[in-house]
Amino acid sequence: MVRILGGCMIFAGCLGLGLWYRSQMTGRIRALLGLEHILELLASEVRYGRAALPECFSHIARGLQAPFGEAFLEIGRRMEENTGLTFGEVFREVVGEALGSLPLRETDREDFLRFALQTGYADAQMQLRAIEQSAELLKGTRERLERESAEKGRMAVGLGAMGGLFLILLLV
Amino acid sequence: MENSILHLFPARYRAFWQRTAGEQKTLQEIRLRAGRPVILHSGGREHFLTAQGEPTGSLSQAYCAAERELEEILEHICHYSPYAFEEELRRGFVTVAGGHRVGVAGQAVLEPDGRIRTFKNISYLNVRVSHEVKGAADGVLPDMYGGGSLKSALIISPPGCGKTTLLRDLVRQISDGNVYGPGMTVGVVDERSELAGSFLGKAQNDMGIRTDVLDGCPKELGMLLLLRSMSPQVIAIDELGGDGELAALRQAAVCGCKVLATVHGEDRQDVEYRFGMAADLWERLFDRFLVLGRERGRYVVRQVRGKE
Repeated sequence: MVRILGGCMIFAGCLGLGLWYRSQMTGRIRALLGLEHILELLASEVRYGRAALPECFSHIARGLQAPFGEAFLEIGRRMEENTGLTFGEVFREVVGEALGSLPLRETDREDFLRFALQTGYADAQMQLRAIEQSAELLKGTRERLERESAEKGRMAVGLGAMGGLFLILLLV
Repeated sequence: MENSILHLFPARYRAFWQRTAGEQKTLQEIRLRAGRPVILHSGGREHFLTAQGEPTGSLSQAYCAAERELEEILEHICHYSPYAFEEELRRGFVTVAGGHRVGVAGQAVLEPDGRIRTFKNISYLNVRVSHEVKGAADGVLPDMYGGGSLKSALIISPPGCGKTTLLRDLVRQISDGNVYGPGMTVGVVDERSELAGSFLGKAQNDMGIRTDVLDGCPKELGMLLLLRSMSPQVIAIDELGGDGELAALRQAAVCGCKVLATVHGEDRQDVEYRFGMAADLWERLFDRFLVLGRERGRYVVRQVRGKE
């Protein structure tokens, strides 16, 4: 009885590991989609509102949920306080923290934060291009993941289940 | 706002500007030129700054600003979004929090039709420090009222004699109300953001509780717009320029508004000559003519005259 229970637990654990891997992958895709959406909103604010970047973030914060809603309001607050830090520094610090809670890779985070270092353009089109470049990098990663996710997800769950069975056979 | 000019500078330069910011009350201008000494105009005198930010009269000890430093300061002033200040940069200056004006010069980028699109390689910054002098209009306020009502007035002055400061305080006192008359609704067309010192649409100077400010709008258009939208009892503009502005002022007067305006000039004859408009036409527009000047190093109201 105990052996059967132990075997079931091993199988469930390995299967769970496969499912977790798959959920991480879909979570990453969802997070990338969210970041793309934020950059789209930001580009619209720059394109149509011609507002300064901190003001743009304060505007779009109202329509966003945690962790970004609060983080973007914080950017607006910190820039208004005018402590002398650059926008890039404030943005990386505040948003970097918010990004930490999402299932993203370091490269995804860097792609998103990249545009904040490319400020100072006198022409709105140039600033838009910098934002769009970040969005394109994220989109490229997301599309690749979406193509691979079905296959990799199936493989992860399958490997988890097979691994569980193998371990049971090995141990029993 | 005691040290508000310190906010113009990014964190890494604030230690250098700390001492200067402490003397903001007497500071008039900061001139920054790439590769050239930093020059301050303070209390009517000119001096340089050492590398530690201390004032000095010696050119050999003067600190020279780097081109990158100017770029960083301008970026900071523009909230790291110069594109949002495209129109201001095209006009050659940005008004910042505190009402200070930062003039820019460098290499102009032109549109195909010859208009300025923007500036690149900005190598010159001129920070004009705003000083709000509450009570500057106390001396002329009794002359502004007659028969229990406010009179339209033209303030005539050579550059730098305080006509904008006087008009700003007049607007504030008329708007809030004073011992000579109750508070009135004032519409201000602040084309160059000098009167209200607006930053992101909000007046940085105290313009009174009944004042509406139209910032960055050409005076001619702005006066008509305010007449239609805000029904002001008084319209105020700084630096009367072309015929279109005079026509808009006339329309405001016809609508029953009192008008307050400033104009560059030595005296009334000088203004009449430059505008090519006869004295009686001016008197249809204005009831009072205030002439400012400088006497014994101080800026004073030299003359207050009613209609001839």
